Amino acid sequence: MLKNYFIITFRNIFRNKTFSFLNIFGLAVGIACASLIFLWVEDELNYNHYFPNRNNLYIVKDKQTYDGKTFVFDATPGPLAQAIKAETPGIKTTARISWANPLLFSLGDKTINENGLYVDSGFLTMFSVPFTKGNAANTFTQVHTVVISEKMAKKFFKSTDIIGKTLKIDNKQDYVVSGVFKDLPENVSIKFDWLISFKVFEEQNQWLTKWGSNGIITYAETEPNANVTAINKQLYNIVQRKNSESTIAKMLLYPFNRIRLYNSFDTSGTEKEGLIKNIRLFSLIAWIILIIACINFMNLATARSEKRAKEVGIRKVMGAAKQKLIFQFLSESILLSFISMLLAIAIISLALPAFNNLVHKNLSLQIFMPLHFGSLVVIALVCGILAGSYPAFYLSSFNPALVLKGTKLKTGSAAFIRKALVVTQFSASVILIICTVIIYQQIQYGKEKDLGFKKDRLITTYFNGDMRNHFSVIKTDLLNTGLIENIAQSWNTVLSQGSNSGDFTWEGKPVNKTVLITTEGVGPEYISTMNMKLKEGRDFYVDLKTDSTNIIINETLAKIIEKKEIVGSTITASNKKYTIIGVVNDFVSNNVYKPADPVILFGDALHTNVLSIRIKANADISKAIVAIEKVIKDNNPGYPFEYEFVDAEFGRFFRAETLIGKLAGVFAALAIIISCLGLFGLASFTAERRTKEIGIRKVLGATVTGITGLLSKDFLKPVLLSIVIAFPVSWWLMFNWLKDYQYKITIEWWVFALAGLLVLFIALITVSFQSVRAAIANPVKSLRTE
Amino acid sequence: MINLEHIFKWHNTGNNRVFLLKDINLHFDQGEFVSIMGPSGSGKTTLLNIIGMLDDASEGKYDFQGQNIYQIKDKQRSALYKENIGFVFQAYHLIDELTVYENIETPLLYQNIKSAERQAIVADILDRFNIVGKKNLFPSQLSGGQQQLVGIARAIVAKPKLLLADEPTGNLNSKQGQEIMELFQQLNKEDGVTIIQVTHSEKNAEYGQRIIELLDGRIEKK
Repeated sequence: MLKNYFIITFRNIFRNKTFSFLNIFGLAVGIACASLIFLWVEDELNYNHYFPNRNNLYIVKDKQTYDGKTFVFDATPGPLAQAIKAETPGIKTTARISWANPLLFSLGDKTINENGLYVDSGFLTMFSVPFTKGNAANTFTQVHTVVISEKMAKKFFKSTDIIGKTLKIDNKQDYVVSGVFKDLPENVSIKFDWLISFKVFEEQNQWLTKWGSNGIITYAETEPNANVTAINKQLYNIVQRKNSESTIAKMLLYPFNRIRLYNSFDTSGTEKEGLIKNIRLFSLIAWIILIIACINFMNLATARSEKRAKEVGIRKVMGAAKQKLIFQFLSESILLSFISMLLAIAIISLALPAFNNLVHKNLSLQIFMPLHFGSLVVIALVCGILAGSYPAFYLSSFNPALVLKGTKLKTGSAAFIRKALVVTQFSASVILIICTVIIYQQIQYGKEKDLGFKKDRLITTYFNGDMRNHFSVIKTDLLNTGLIENIAQSWNTVLSQGSNSGDFTWEGKPVNKTVLITTEGVGPEYISTMNMKLKEGRDFYVDLKTDSTNIIINETLAKIIEKKEIVGSTITASNKKYTIIGVVNDFVSNNVYKPADPVILFGDALHTNVLSIRIKANADISKAIVAIEKVIKDNNPGYPFEYEFVDAEFGRFFRAETLIGKLAGVFAALAIIISCLGLFGLASFTAERRTKEIGIRKVLGATVTGITGLLSKDFLKPVLLSIVIAFPVSWWLMFNWLKDYQYKITIEWWVFALAGLLVLFIALITVSFQSVRAAIANPVKSLRTE
Repeated sequence: MINLEHIFKWHNTGNNRVFLLKDINLHFDQGEFVSIMGPSGSGKTTLLNIIGMLDDASEGKYDFQGQNIYQIKDKQRSALYKENIGFVFQAYHLIDELTVYENIETPLLYQNIKSAERQAIVADILDRFNIVGKKNLFPSQLSGGQQQLVGIARAIVAKPKLLLADEPTGNLNSKQGQEIMELFQQLNKEDGVTIIQVTHSEKNAEYGQRIIELLDGRIEKK
């Protein structure tokens, strides 16, 4: 019996090749797409699951309020970790951690910058660092020891059996390898290839002993049943208890589990949703695509099943019971949906590399994971059963005498449902198209914003070794190449200025008002190298000595200070007086979508880390890079030359938005393709069902255009309706999405018109292809077959 | 074998009741070969469908082998149908996606007959109808006469006691028609199958032992 059904199914597939292809392929694409998104979502939801202790881990956050606005930082004072552990019940361990930073490791000729952390030994147990050689207890018994990842071990030694061997760091100090740990997976928030005892970092940074300097990250592990609310209550004023001068920094524990998906705060300091919003959005899109594809599958299957009413009639005459017919149709559509599932798996495997590239991940389809396998099977089963149930239950209930006589079946309700499904599909398509366009507009808006400096042909590189001391020689050599316009030094790259302080006061400033000001140190000619504009006053002198207590501020700060003679007035911080010598235009320093922060530029060439190099407008960029590399290597041998274009750094600002935009675009395209596959199938069926009507109309004198119009009209109506539905929905979605941006585009009507027309046009082409074919058919033929 | 008493069949269109059959009283014995004649719209096919249990009468009593089929359970009725009735149509109504062999085999599948036995029965029939060479062809590859032959083979493969034929020669030329009629006669005489056929053709009707003439839903002449 089952064999008989399979035979029928396969013959049906091959008899209606186009149709079967549309059906199977449509569902497969839908399943594949949704699966890819779900893989991504799964990866994000499993973020940090690598750390078994994650439920008891907390990062200590530092809440500071200025002028009614609250900022939440990860930076904490150096003595905090020890103090918390000593006086807070419920805390099991604490650990101090430096910001992830690159260090130059070398072994013989091999020199490589590797990223890692300075950590307290508590970190090793808190994060269960998986040692493959050595162990946590013996790791930091001596100061100059390092533990490294297997990846890094293989890079230098081509082996992991390397305990006791040495690596030179920063071309100065030898470090003994005391342990090797397993490489971390991609989806963790803390990434490191080496760990060195925090004591080393402590020796290099005297400010770590002060309660007033927030400069490192503090992690805490609580006892399993600790009351975090109580701990936070005790922590809140800890800085004030230790250091009466400090009034602002309030400490609190923030769950490590939420670092990836939340970790975002509004101006009142309350947590708001971060990445989780995107996860929800994309899960929704995945479901929509999956549902669209299933709808399609059902639509096409049911449309086709009407053609099979005759078969049902014959089978009934031959003695088939209703249950057997139901079983036949169900098994048939389930078989089809499983074929789709197999095809989907093939599509996923083919598309994964490209998808990984798109989302910057390294996902893999682990098909034999119970969850993955189970979901695929469930999807296939559900689609199969839903698609098969209409023909199974509806057709099998027909009176065979009527069917075989050729009486047209009443399909009113089915046709209505089918149209409703088409409307749903196309609404989704239109919504996705509109969202794609608006997201791209917003990205473009951000990219085209006047940055206040010129980002083209600007590269940055970090000072290594003795470079800072040779700055003037390097500068002369670079200018002598003829390819470089100018170079300047600074603490940070222009797009990542992160230091700030609320300690500044000036004459006329209200006593109770604190202003958080971004601070940055720059060398001479920084402003001209960046192509910023001085609004008033002058730049720092080339010899900075005379400018050691002079500062340049930006326009925003000038407005806040509100003085007529701004140049020459003074600003005070911790009993030091600074004189304003210039006002520079506002520039984007870390967030494109926010108004400029107030900024103070100090004249400082002693603590700079970054070299910014502007390449001449007419110079060949690749030649210039080669020249720069040569100059820097000549002046600072033994270090690799690593650089980045500011343009590329700028591009990273838009990574999240670009990802959303690209995904929305891809899925909009897929949604419209799947929808059109469905529409095409339905149109061809209607055309087929109405063959006789068309024949009669032609005999009565209808023209081809008239008939094409008649057939197409029927299908364009639901498409039009879906456009009408999609407009307010997409407007609402985008309005909410844009709410998070201070600088944003206004939603324009033409985007909607464009999306609507585009979809209408595509639908028209899809439908009229079938309509025209039906309309030009010879009526004699169609009438004879009736 | 079959007893119809006061059978009525009507449709309601709007306020009007359209009668397809009016007060039909008929009796058929086991082993009879009966032809039903009448002009288009006289109710021949409706009557045949009611006898074949594809359609129910609006009113009246229908006994099949002594059982009142409007009073027994659906299950019993379909069992009765499966075991006793075979249908042949004017338009053959073969399943296009199945081969000749598979078409003939299908009724046996619904009777849950074992695979080996099925093979034997179908082989037998193919042999008897001289269509062994065509068993792997699809209906569209056959002539009308051949298709109808397959239709008949399929109708009798499960050894029904009653064969109902709705204008079996309607789509065939006269020579093919004659062959089909001779086949019917043979089935009737040699196998004892009761046959009721609807036909337009006087000549084909003569193959039956008696002729019932219908006009406007009434029996004109028995």
